[in-house]
Amino acid sequence: MKRTANDWLLDTFAYFFLIAIGLMMLLPLLNVFSKAVSEEWAIVSGKVGIFPVGFQLDTLREVVTSSTFSHAFLLSVGVTIVGTALSILFTAVTAYPLSKRFLPGISFVMVLFVFTMLFSGGLIPNYMLMRQLHLINNLWVLVLPGLIGVFNLLVIKSYYESLPEALEESARIDGARTYTILFRIILPLSMPVIATIALFYAVGYWNDYFGPMIYINDTTKQTLQLYLQSVVMEANTSTALTKSVEDMMNMSPEGIRSATVIASTVPILVVYPFLQKYFIKGVLIGSVKG
Amino acid sequence: MAMENKKWLTSLLCASLAVSVSACGPSKGASPSADPSASMGASAAATTGGKEAKPQLHALNIWMKDDYNTYPVAKLIEEKTGYKVKYDMLPQDKANDKLNLLMASGESYDLVTIGGDRSLYGDYAKKGALVDLGPLIEQYGPNIQDKLSQDSLDALKIDGKIYGIGNRSSAFASYGLMIRTDWLEKVGMQAPATVDEFTQVLKAFKEKDPGGNGDKGYPFTITGDSPMVTDLMGAFNLANYWTDIDGKLVPPPLNPGFEGYLNYMAGLYKDGLLDKEFAVNKDATMKEKFTSGKIGVVSLGWWDIPTVTDALQKNFPDAKIAYLPALKGPDGKMGLGMGGGFDRISFIPKSSKHPEDAIKWINAKLDDDLFKEIAIGEEGKHYTVKDGAYSPILPAFNDERNQANNYLTGVDEKNYPIYWQARVKKDMRLYEGFNYLNNVLPAEARLVDPLALAPSMPINSKNSAAMTQLLNDYMVKVFVGEEPVSGLPDFIKKFNATGGQENEVEINAWYATVKK
Repeated sequence: MKRTANDWLLDTFAYFFLIAIGLMMLLPLLNVFSKAVSEEWAIVSGKVGIFPVGFQLDTLREVVTSSTFSHAFLLSVGVTIVGTALSILFTAVTAYPLSKRFLPGISFVMVLFVFTMLFSGGLIPNYMLMRQLHLINNLWVLVLPGLIGVFNLLVIKSYYESLPEALEESARIDGARTYTILFRIILPLSMPVIATIALFYAVGYWNDYFGPMIYINDTTKQTLQLYLQSVVMEANTSTALTKSVEDMMNMSPEGIRSATVIASTVPILVVYPFLQKYFIKGVLIGSVKG
Repeated sequence: MAMENKKWLTSLLCASLAVSVSACGPSKGASPSADPSASMGASAAATTGGKEAKPQLHALNIWMKDDYNTYPVAKLIEEKTGYKVKYDMLPQDKANDKLNLLMASGESYDLVTIGGDRSLYGDYAKKGALVDLGPLIEQYGPNIQDKLSQDSLDALKIDGKIYGIGNRSSAFASYGLMIRTDWLEKVGMQAPATVDEFTQVLKAFKEKDPGGNGDKGYPFTITGDSPMVTDLMGAFNLANYWTDIDGKLVPPPLNPGFEGYLNYMAGLYKDGLLDKEFAVNKDATMKEKFTSGKIGVVSLGWWDIPTVTDALQKNFPDAKIAYLPALKGPDGKMGLGMGGGFDRISFIPKSSKHPEDAIKWINAKLDDDLFKEIAIGEEGKHYTVKDGAYSPILPAFNDERNQANNYLTGVDEKNYPIYWQARVKKDMRLYEGFNYLNNVLPAEARLVDPLALAPSMPINSKNSAAMTQLLNDYMVKVFVGEEPVSGLPDFIKKFNATGGQENEVEINAWYATVKK
C-alpha cells in the first residue's frame, strides 16, 4: 500500500507525541539519577539537571552499604520471591476448578471471590483480624492476605477456559487423573499467562508500601519501600514542621535521598525489560477467547 | 486494564482507610480493654524477661534512619538500667494515622514517644487512652521530679492529671538573616543594625550589583510559604506569632506592628529589592538561588550553614556569609523568635503491661551519669570538656550519638542545654552561626514564645493550619501588591470570623491564669 502525505504527517506526529511523553517520563528519573551521583554542593546550588555535576559514586556506595538499607533490600527480595511463588501456585490451582462451569455451585463460589474485589472490611477490622492471627510484625502478613489476587485469578481462569476441552478428555482417556492433568497438561500450556501474572505479583510485592506501613512496626522488619518512603519524606515540609532542631541536623541530604531512590528502583527496572515480552503477550492471550 | 484495575483498588482502599480511621475515633476509649487476648506478643515477651525479674519493655518511637534496637545507645541503656527494651517505630509519613490505629486497637506498648505534638497527646489523654502518671512518678520517679521543672510537668497536665513526660526543647533562636559579607565589603557598607539601614544595604546591592547578576539576581529573597521573616518580624514587634499587647495575647493581624511590616515588605517588593518570584520559592529553590550567587540575603536556620557554605564557596571561592544582628524597627523594637515547648512527649497507653517498670526505666535514664552518657557519650571517647563546654570527638560522636535524642524520655533540664551544644560543635561553621544568634547577640534580642509551655488547646490545634494558611496567603498577596495594605481591616474581619476570634479567646483564657 502506498503511503500518502497524510500518513507521513500522522506518523511524524505520532513519533513526536510519543517521544515527548517518553521524555516526560524519563527526564525526572534522569534528574534523580544525576543527583544520586553528583556532589552535594552542586545539588544544593541547583546545578544538577539531566547530567551529573562532579561525578562521584560515594553517595550511592554509602546508601548501598548501610546496614539498614541492605537489610531492607534483602527482606524485600525475599518477600517478593516467596510471595510470587506462593501466589502463582495458589492462584493457578484455585483458578482451575473455577474454570469448570459444570461443577455444582461453582458460580456461587465465583461470586464470593468477586465480592472481595468490590468490598472490604476496612482498615481497622483488617488490622484487628491480623492481630488475632498473630500476623502483626510477622513478614507473612505481607504475603498471606493478598495471596490470591482476584483479578489475576480471573485472567488465569479465562485462559484455562480458552484451552480446548478435548485436550483434557484425551488425557483422561490415557489414564491421567485431575492433578496430573492440571500439573502436566494445563499448567505447561498456560506458561504465557503464568509468566505475566507472576510479573504482576512480583511488581506488586516489590512495590508494596501500604502493607508494611500498616502491619510492620518492628525496626528489623522494614521492607525497602517503607524505608525508601521514610527517607524521601524526611525533607517534606509537612513532616519538617514537627521536627526538632536535632532532627533537622540529622536530616539526610538530597544526594542521599536520591541515591536511595535509585538503589531501590534499579533492581525492578532491570528485571522489567526481560519480562515485558511476556507481559504483552500474556495479557492478550488471556483476553482473547474463542 | 490491569493497571486501571489496580488504581481502582487503591482508591477503594484509600477510601476505606479514610472511613475507618475517622470511624474509630469515638470507640477509642473502649477498644483497648475490650480485647484481652490481644496482647499475646507482650506477655510472651514478659515470660522470657521474667527470669531476671525485670520484664522486657515494649517501646514505640518515631521514625529514625538507623535501627533503634542495634544503635549503640540502646545497648548502653540496656546495660545500665537492666531493662531489655524492644523498640518499634512509626513510619515517617502518616505517623499519626498509624499511631491512631495502634492506639485504637490496643497494642500493648509500655511506652510511646511521639514528636512534640501536644494536641495529639492531649487528645489521647482526654479520651482516656493513657495511664495517669502522677502516682507512679510519686512512687518510682524521684529523678523525674528532680530533673524536670514544675513548668514542664504542668504544661502536660490534662484536667489536672499528668499523662506524659516531655523532653523540653532548649530555647534558642534557630533562624536569622544570612548576608553575603563579601558583597557588603564590595559596596563598602557595614552590617545594618536597623531596618532602615537594611533597606539601604539592599538598595546598594541592587544599584552596585556586587554579584554581577544584572537583572537575574535580587538583593533579598524569602520562600512563599514563610512570609513571616524572622528578624524583620521582630523589628515590628512580631517576633513570635502571639505577642503580649497590654496584657493580652494577639495574633499578627491584630498586632499594631503588622501594618508597618506589610508596608515595609510590600515596599521592598515594589522597589525590586525582594525577589519578584519569591512567592513560588521553596526552601530548596531559595538555597539554590543563594548558593548560585544570585541573592544577597536569605533567612536561614543555622543547621543549614555547612551545606550552604560548602555549595556557595565551591561556586564562589571568595564568598563569605554571616548572620545579621537583630534589626531595630522604627519604634526601636527588635528580636528573634525562639522555639520552645517539647521535642518529644512520652506516654504510657492503658494497654501497657508494665506501667510501673516503664516509669522506673524512665527514672533510671534520668540518673546524672547515665543521662550524660546517653546524651553525649563517654568523655575522651565521644566528647571532650573544657571550661564546662563540651566538644564532640568525630567521627565517634556522629556514629554513636547522632541519634541519641531519639532515646531520651524526659531530659535533665538544667544540664541538657549545655551538653547539647556538643552537637552544634560538630561543624565549627554551624557553631559560629548558633553562637552568634544565641550567645553573641544580647539576651533582649531573643524573645521567648509565650506559648512555649501552653497546654494543649483543642480549638487552636483544630484551626491552626487553616489560620496560618489564610494569613500566609494574605501576606503574600499584599507583598506583591495584589491587595492594598489599606484592606487590612477587612482581612481582620475575615480572619476573626474564620477562627481567629475563638483562638484568641481560648488562648487568653489560659494566658490569664499564668500571667502574674
